[in-house]
Amino acid sequence: MRRLVAFVVTLACVSALVFVAIRVLPGDPVLVMAGPEANPEVVARLRTAMGLDRPIPVQYVDWLVHAMRGELGVSLQYDVPVARLIASRLPVTLPLTAMAAVFMVVVALPLGLYAAVHARGPGDYLAMAVAQLGLAVPSFWAGLLLILLFSVQLGWFRSGGFEGWTQGVWLGVRALLLPAVALGLFQAAVLIRATRSALLEVLGEDYVRTARAKGVRDALVVVKHAFRNAMIPVITVAGLQLGQLIAGSIVLESVFALPGLGRLALGAITARDLPVVQGVTLFVASCVVAINFAVDLSYAWLDPRIRYE
Amino acid sequence: MRGVALALAVLVASLSAVPVTGQPGPGLIVQVVAEPPGLDLTATPASATAGVVFYNIQECLVKVDLHGKLVPWLAERWHTSDNRNYTFFLKRGVRFHNGRELKAADVKFVFERAMNPETKHPYPGYYAAIGDIIVKDDYTVTFALKSLNANFLLNLARQGSVIYPRETVDTLKSAPVGTGPFRFGEWVRGDRIVLTRNADYHVKGLPKLERVTFRFIADPNAALAALKAGDVDASLFGLGPEHVIDLQKDPRFAVIVGDTTNDVILAMNNSRKPFTDVRVRRAMTHAVDKQEVLKGAMFGMGRILGSNVDPLNPYFVDLAGAMPYDPDKARKLLAEAGYPRGFEAVLKVSPQYQYTVRSGEIIVSQLQKVGVRVRIEQIEWGQWLSRVWKDADYDLTIIGHAEAWDINNYANPKYYFRYDSPRFQELYQKSEVTLDDKARRDLYVQMQRMLVEDAPAVWLFMHPRLAVAKRGVQGIWKDLPLSANDLSEVSRTP
Repeated sequence: MRRLVAFVVTLACVSALVFVAIRVLPGDPVLVMAGPEANPEVVARLRTAMGLDRPIPVQYVDWLVHAMRGELGVSLQYDVPVARLIASRLPVTLPLTAMAAVFMVVVALPLGLYAAVHARGPGDYLAMAVAQLGLAVPSFWAGLLLILLFSVQLGWFRSGGFEGWTQGVWLGVRALLLPAVALGLFQAAVLIRATRSALLEVLGEDYVRTARAKGVRDALVVVKHAFRNAMIPVITVAGLQLGQLIAGSIVLESVFALPGLGRLALGAITARDLPVVQGVTLFVASCVVAINFAVDLSYAWLDPRIRYE
Repeated sequence: MRGVALALAVLVASLSAVPVTGQPGPGLIVQVVAEPPGLDLTATPASATAGVVFYNIQECLVKVDLHGKLVPWLAERWHTSDNRNYTFFLKRGVRFHNGRELKAADVKFVFERAMNPETKHPYPGYYAAIGDIIVKDDYTVTFALKSLNANFLLNLARQGSVIYPRETVDTLKSAPVGTGPFRFGEWVRGDRIVLTRNADYHVKGLPKLERVTFRFIADPNAALAALKAGDVDASLFGLGPEHVIDLQKDPRFAVIVGDTTNDVILAMNNSRKPFTDVRVRRAMTHAVDKQEVLKGAMFGMGRILGSNVDPLNPYFVDLAGAMPYDPDKARKLLAEAGYPRGFEAVLKVSPQYQYTVRSGEIIVSQLQKVGVRVRIEQIEWGQWLSRVWKDADYDLTIIGHAEAWDINNYANPKYYFRYDSPRFQELYQKSEVTLDDKARRDLYVQMQRMLVEDAPAVWLFMHPRLAVAKRGVQGIWKDLPLSANDLSEVSRTP
């Protein structure tokens, strides 16, 4: 119950913050929409029509009341309900984030594990070099390099765009594969290092030494005894990274011209499409809070000493 | 290990098996930078909307053709004996995309709606001179003007004057209906807009394409990659000179460099010191080496300007050399104005338009040489509109003014230039009611020369039209006398 209250309070704070921030910042949605050539009467007329001439607190309360009923308003730019707009972008962003997360885990855990077990060996140095590279290359640059190699040179993938899932699952996966790799690269690098250091720490513990002294096989010691305990910090990092993956999708969706949530948010900020910015922020904040909640629950599962009342 | 190799081989084989080309048939995939904020030309002035809808889906009674000339279009001809009553004779047999024939009553409806203050038409001023619209018969309609208006026909050719069937008013924003060569197909928000061929188009033999897909790719590097990978067939607006240079060397593409109505200027706040002094403004003009700016910022593409009217305008006078680069004269003028050691100023530019930032960097170093120390402040486009354009809270800014026939901005003392010259305003008002072409041209020449002398801004260059298409794509307009992508005559050979 306490967690649920914290969840709601967090969302309320985030929404109020964004609501005020985007209105206090210079930049008028009406001007962006009407363009520099429009005359002041048109601008004033549009402002009244959009309800933007009312005081900010009135606008916020109005928005909040509607949001509680599940109505997030109508996009100023598209004239489409915000909830529908967000829903239409999820088939891009959710699979993209999920694929990036899978890539991150599939690459990072084995490499991190290998590096820890072979600490200070050539394999460790190689894994760390890979991680360093992943950290050093910005995701948009990695995206462009992937496009140049796999789209322009080899012609295996499209350079961008998304036809939707109706054309076939494989085509959808194919459109998202390169951006998912570019998106997951940096986070994978972080996770390789986190996994390695967490595992190294656990491998130095007494109980691991005891297990080894008992004659348990090395592989079993690492996988069964050490790895599970090392997972707690790794999952904490991975949980935070999931939130960052959603944020990172803003850049990658632009590079790959994908009609996802990130690009919707970016376009909405540029166009000062306030209801959309507000709706997307609320949605992303809910996702991040929910992920953190799930991470907390997983602690109890991994470590029986942790219990939530 | 063998399993991994096999899996990789299967993956590669399956990837190669699926064709990567966009779509079959004589279609065209066009990259555009910005997604339209709605498709209703009678509700938004956005050039992103015009780029898709204007000329392709919806058309006007009169058309500005590729040479910038006004030609009859949905009206096959017009007649006026007194320049107050214009009678238009509609082309017969023109059908809207919903199958109904275009009639004079539609024309009356469209313009009465545009004039109605309740409708949020972006430019009601264009129709302010219209007093009455009289339907004579199904194919004849007369506009009775309250006052003389030299721009009346031009205003009927603008993007806000498109003709649509009255029964589709409610869907104009999301699914516009018109008489154009293409029908609206679908709009996948955030990704693309698809238009399909209008088989009943009133110009025989057109359009030549079966389908046009506008794909929104904002990032120029991504657009370049999409072109090179063959995912898009043409880019009509989105690429900068740095990309075009690269593509000119590629035999797979044809690069089109043409003229536009986009005047790029270094605007000065004429109401803020020291720019209130005409000597300072002239000094600024003399201190800027436009040739170097064009070379550095635009790779030499574009045309140097000396005054406001663009080269596609019939009244254009080439004044590029009228106030030439002369740093010594600039220093002298500054000293006369009381600034022998120059002064400090802030240049606000928006990185949304990269050429403004690049031009700004070059200009700052040039101004430094005459003692004007300028600091560049990059602000986001929404902020630029609010702070610079609306509130005139700036010293200097660089921006392109894309609208054709926009000399009126200098006759408006509240415009963000804050240039207030009663003499100029008088000349402009006179030009608005002068219908004799020669007399009107004389007035435009006077206005252009007066702007050079008063130097309310430094006119830098005309932003070139930079379009790229795969070889085999033909019929793309070279010059852009207005913001439209007329694709009706575009064809492609395999």
